[in-house]
Amino acid sequence: MSSDFYTNSIVPYSGIIIKICRAYTDSQEDFEDYYQEVCLQVWRTKDQFRGESKWSTWVYRLSLNICLTMIKKKKNNRQHTVSDYEVPVATEDNHAFSDESLNLLYDAIKQLSEIDRAVILLYLEERPYKEIGEIIGTSHNNIAVRITRIKERLKKILN
Amino acid sequence: METSIETIWKDGFLKSDTLLAPKLNNLYNQKSKHIIEKFNRMFKRNLIALVLGSTLFLIYSIFADILIMGIGTFIISNSIVIVNIKLMKTLKNIDKNVSSYNYLKAFDKWLKDQLRINRKLARIYYPLFFITAIAGIWFSGNFQELLSEILGKPHQIYLVNGFPVLWMLPIILIASLMAIFGDKIYNFDVNLIYGRVFRKLNDMIADIEELRK
Repeated sequence: MSSDFYTNSIVPYSGIIIKICRAYTDSQEDFEDYYQEVCLQVWRTKDQFRGESKWSTWVYRLSLNICLTMIKKKKNNRQHTVSDYEVPVATEDNHAFSDESLNLLYDAIKQLSEIDRAVILLYLEERPYKEIGEIIGTSHNNIAVRITRIKERLKKILN
Repeated sequence: METSIETIWKDGFLKSDTLLAPKLNNLYNQKSKHIIEKFNRMFKRNLIALVLGSTLFLIYSIFADILIMGIGTFIISNSIVIVNIKLMKTLKNIDKNVSSYNYLKAFDKWLKDQLRINRKLARIYYPLFFITAIAGIWFSGNFQELLSEILGKPHQIYLVNGFPVLWMLPIILIASLMAIFGDKIYNFDVNLIYGRVFRKLNDMIADIEELRK
């Protein structure tokens, strides 16, 4: 990967990638793995980007797809033990932010289903409902209803 | 006052350390380990399947009265397993404390050597499997009964020194073709099972080479 590509096409969007990867991982090691995988795939698929959407949307979509695929792969590789169904909890290995409220919000987000996580991340990033619907593959009305439901659930968890 | 999740999100990410990207190093470190581990798992599983399959077939052959086929298949299959276990032991010689690229290249070289040996062996064991199968049928009680019936009728079979020459010719021809094209049949077999892993490995090496430019 050329440093030009990394500097111009990845670094400005690394925030997006970090926020998404963080929501799908429970340890610093996994987080770094997912982050690197996303960067690698952004670089590998750069020629497939036809400019029909914003580059940031492309990066969002790719990051979510990769995180969901990696989670699925990880689940398949792992023996189905009880821990698969446990709610993720903060561990020493967790990469925690310095902001306590943000950490709590992330822990709450991690208790949502994988798709709901994607929806709320895109919502918090202020993406329009239409775009969220396109990325997730559903109507914007459905997204609106879903977001209300997710926000209520998050409120409940946080309180 | 209760803070909304939108505010927590916005304010949380205003702090400078929250969006520090991890360094991109050893992009393929984990991936190279995973692909090699995956190949090893598949390879071991297939060797175990070969041992189990040939053993079960040996037992079945006793009851099905095709014992020669069962014994032959068992011996050939387990010879393949022994050779490949020996080849697998040499995999441990690959140094893991090198870069992902060198590790993958060393593995790729090992894999190619291993395939080359197996391709050569395939030209022997494919015809042997075939001959064993034919011999198994030939010497089975049921077939011998059928043969006696045929031999009982005049001009039904042409024998030279007790051998059915015309029947032997196609068997020899097929066995010879298997010996000639054994490597091609092996390639086809191997690609069916390991094709995806091989393609992944090649893609990975190509990617790293491009990244190194």
